[in-house]
Amino acid sequence: MTWTNLLRSEIRKLTTTRMPLAFVAVLVVLAATNGVAVAVGTDMDGSKSFIATGADQQSLMAFAANALMITGLFGAIAAAREYAHSTVIATYLASPRRPRALGAQLAAVGLGGAILGLLGAALTVGAVAASLPLTDYGFMVTAGGVAQVLAASAWAGACGAVLGAGIGTVVRNTGGAVTGAVLVLLILPPLIVQLANGTAAWVPSALANVASGITNDTSVASAGAAMALWALVPALIALRVVRRRDIV
Amino acid sequence: MNPATGEHRLVIEHLTKKYGDRAVVNDLSFSVEPGRVTGFLGPNGSGKSTTMKILLDLAAADHGTATIGGSRYRELPEPANTVGVMLEPNAFHPGRSGRNHLRIVAQASGYPMARVDDALTLVDLGGEPARRRVGTYSLGMKQRLSLAAALLGDPAVLVLDEPANGLDPQGIHDLRDLLRSRAARGHTVLVSSHLLNEVQHLVDDVVVINQGRLVTTGTIDDLTDSRAVVRTPDPTALGIELARTGADIKPSGPDTLVVAGLRLDQIGDAAHAAGIALHELSADAGLLEDVFLALTAPTTTVEETQS
Repeated sequence: MTWTNLLRSEIRKLTTTRMPLAFVAVLVVLAATNGVAVAVGTDMDGSKSFIATGADQQSLMAFAANALMITGLFGAIAAAREYAHSTVIATYLASPRRPRALGAQLAAVGLGGAILGLLGAALTVGAVAASLPLTDYGFMVTAGGVAQVLAASAWAGACGAVLGAGIGTVVRNTGGAVTGAVLVLLILPPLIVQLANGTAAWVPSALANVASGITNDTSVASAGAAMALWALVPALIALRVVRRRDIV
Repeated sequence: MNPATGEHRLVIEHLTKKYGDRAVVNDLSFSVEPGRVTGFLGPNGSGKSTTMKILLDLAAADHGTATIGGSRYRELPEPANTVGVMLEPNAFHPGRSGRNHLRIVAQASGYPMARVDDALTLVDLGGEPARRRVGTYSLGMKQRLSLAAALLGDPAVLVLDEPANGLDPQGIHDLRDLLRSRAARGHTVLVSSHLLNEVQHLVDDVVVINQGRLVTTGTIDDLTDSRAVVRTPDPTALGIELARTGADIKPSGPDTLVVAGLRLDQIGDAAHAAGIALHELSADAGLLEDVFLALTAPTTTVEETQS
């Protein structure tokens, strides 16, 4: 068997259950919520200053931080359910070199996360664009700005999914994996910021905002690389753990 | 593949596996020959599944080796094409269709997709059942889907954990035909079960383990011949005569003895030499399960069996 075969098999795993559809439904709900907020929402003073500029609108459309969280859960569930349903046995029988098989799974889940991230951002941009005509403001985000929002969300989606899959592989229990992903993406970052000075710009949500072009605490390239590093740490731990783990 | 060369002989040598202080498999050694269907028997928790998982590189041994044709599973050039495996009865995503499950396995292993429908048809799961989600399957259907996955690559070795579990009589009959045809082609077939009577018509050879240790190996006939029913007008005299040979004798009615530890010809010869008439001498097939239970009683291992 080749690595391409393993990758195709992993992609087929993701596309032959309803789990991705559940995540797409979440994306639709979030985008619709954004659209409704643009159409009927106001600031505290009753104005609509939150959509008054191109930067405001791009900030509203920026989906990368959400993509990180959502695809983190997607990856965690996708990886942990392999153990919950014992389908990992067939995978490791087909590829006894387990890191190779896990690499294929991480790639497939990463691709799925990128698609979910891109879709989430596209739906959000579409919902905001569709709602703006109901207000006094037009669509003011540049084509470059929209492209950056979409690219950042796709990248964040890929990173989040790989991070979640790494955690899911290590934890193996679906509930535990989801909890782990939430801990790493939501609970741990504020603790890190409190414990270590100068780290605020390097936590996942801050990096996602930089990548989306709504803050400039660091460069976009650095933010992208740092997001990848957040994903790689659990992925590398998982690759090491699976080498000799018993499948019981 | 040539069975005479033992190309795909399974060899377990001094295998030991511990979880904490508890030895699940304890210095276990046996071999499984090509061209035979071998039953791997033992009560629940006796170490059968763990042994199979070590053989398939799904678990690591603390000591000893488990090889397929002289190689570890992971060292086989095309492991999934060489060994068809059926391990967990519920190793499926319940929301996925049976056909998609097999497509995933086929794709990962590099089999042509056409094999999927062939395998489904072979186990009588073609058509509508293949399109249904596995969560709606009965245990027997899941077993047949597992078997289809094991047969996808037309492997020379089959390792099946409790394959008869949940099958109806027709399913067991079909399974027997399938395993027999595989063995007749020189394939190596290892079938585990915790019930001897479930597989007694499926297997040629048996490996019985208990508490992770080997209890006995041999042909199924060896095992079933290990008890005999003897009806005689003088059970007391015959009992004394047979007891001299070390046989285990239990009365089973006014003129009947159940004898363990002697072959039928040995019992007949002993009775003839002592001038004791026999009215019946037969293998005690009805107590087959009792034989198995006796062999796998909590403290029985090969040392006790030999003594």
